[in-house]
Amino acid sequence: MADYILQVKGLCKSFGAVQASQDLSFSIQRGHIHALIGPNGAGKTTVLNLLSGELQPDSGSILLNSEEINKLPVHKRVKAGLGRSFQITSIFNDLSVAENMALAILAGRGHNFRFWKNAMAVDIVQHTLTEALARVDLSGRAEQQAGRLSHGEKRQLEVGMALVGGPQLLMLDEPMAGQGAGGTVELQKLISGLKGTTTILLVEHDMDVVFSLADQISVIVYGHCIASGSPEEIRRNSEVQNAYLGEH
Amino acid sequence: MTSAIPKTVIIIAGALFFCSLPWAADYFGEQYLISLFTRILIYSLAAVSLDLLIGYGGLISLGHAAFVGIGAYVTAIFFHHSFVAEPIAGIVAGSDNALLVWPLAIIISAAFALIIGSLSLRTSGMHFIMITLAFAQMLYYFAVGLEKYGGDDGLSLYSRNQLVGMDLNNDVHFYFVCLFFLTLFLFISHRLVKSRFGLVLRGAASSSRRIKALGIPERRYKLVCFVIGGAGAGLAGALLANQTEYVSPGLLHWTLSGELMVMVLLGGLGSLFGPVLGATAYLLLEETLAMYTEHWMVYFGPILIMVVLFAKRGLFGFLTQKE
Repeated sequence: MADYILQVKGLCKSFGAVQASQDLSFSIQRGHIHALIGPNGAGKTTVLNLLSGELQPDSGSILLNSEEINKLPVHKRVKAGLGRSFQITSIFNDLSVAENMALAILAGRGHNFRFWKNAMAVDIVQHTLTEALARVDLSGRAEQQAGRLSHGEKRQLEVGMALVGGPQLLMLDEPMAGQGAGGTVELQKLISGLKGTTTILLVEHDMDVVFSLADQISVIVYGHCIASGSPEEIRRNSEVQNAYLGEH
Repeated sequence: MTSAIPKTVIIIAGALFFCSLPWAADYFGEQYLISLFTRILIYSLAAVSLDLLIGYGGLISLGHAAFVGIGAYVTAIFFHHSFVAEPIAGIVAGSDNALLVWPLAIIISAAFALIIGSLSLRTSGMHFIMITLAFAQMLYYFAVGLEKYGGDDGLSLYSRNQLVGMDLNNDVHFYFVCLFFLTLFLFISHRLVKSRFGLVLRGAASSSRRIKALGIPERRYKLVCFVIGGAGAGLAGALLANQTEYVSPGLLHWTLSGELMVMVLLGGLGSLFGPVLGATAYLLLEETLAMYTEHWMVYFGPILIMVVLFAKRGLFGFLTQKE
């Protein structure tokens, strides 16, 4: 029996007449990089929103470490070990890069009702900030206002922030979108470096990236998972070829 | 911009200016300046407390006057009952002791902020503006209906509060008491916005979605910010009641909330020291323009529009910008 960190069973979600998820089921093994692929509008981001708790499913269940998390609000799911980065880069534009990272570092460590001491002088920030910035190659940018970073750097910062909380399962929504070739290579290195320590759910359009990184791939078409398997199996699956890969 | 002035230089210059003002006023024989600048200090305190909400918490409250008014009314009601020697509601004795009444004004304002904030923070954006406005107006009409305390006509204090070792009826003493509280509140706020709490707060104002994704329940942080802002405004209200020795429902009216907001914008949103500059500029302009015409707003409006258009970060931002 495989060790599943996340199991999705019969998830349904509709927006009016649009069925964004239809009886969607898949499971992610601990330590794997699991990719979700599918044509545009297949409902991949909806899945992430359902998993993160920003959306409530109409039916079905989500199990994290075999415990149902359907009813938990977003911040409780984060505490339970779910981290995510957004498709549209979403960092704190008004704060500096270092402050962004510090906030991510402090978020997972007790409450923040500390009113007096400078946040940047807190021990844990002092100890981990330099490394956390270096990991995503932003050491030289620490004092820059985050809103003024290039698109690629924003993405790096965002992934770095998602990592710093030490999530058990990290959901990355199209991390390569808008990256130059150099940035893609950098991020790819970063993600593959996490293999084994952090389980990753990767939504990505860049098929080269998906097939080189992923251990498992699930293919979603019209909100339904039509196939799950290793990259080889997916490549050979005729249904997938018809529905999706063949289009390209 | 060629020349940018370091923030510390502006702050030290401001501190020196405010500290030496009573002597300067005395030297030039312009005693009224002391009471004008006392008013400026008190409005600055209220504006700084509003800046915590708007500039750091992203909470655009159009009901901040409510807390100024509550602080003022608490002070006046306690004074009134001590003056007529009749317990409040037949239970609590009145008092004119600043060390008792001012903390009470702060606590009661903060308590109202807790109630109003916890209801208002269920909304955001335009709805938040409207609901804070509605609460403040509700309290305004409540004050108008307080027949026992003068209703529409307001309530007079016949003297300022008693403070050990000071004579608050002496304008210079009172001026320095106000300066002390403004400085204290600025210092506390300055620490606050740099603290873990402040970092979360600024993060929530910048991206509420992201702060949730980090696992932080933002609403309670915003609520604490709202309460701290309300407490600061309550203190400003207590001081204001002492300065004018008079309170009226006008202190709770939305126009005061609006004025405070203008002071914050004029001085520079999210800069703490900016609102002091804003309140000073606002009240001095009002004073000067009003000497020439009672329709001073006609001239003040365009000036404000110019500042907002050309110095987006307010006067403080204009002086300190580096570009």
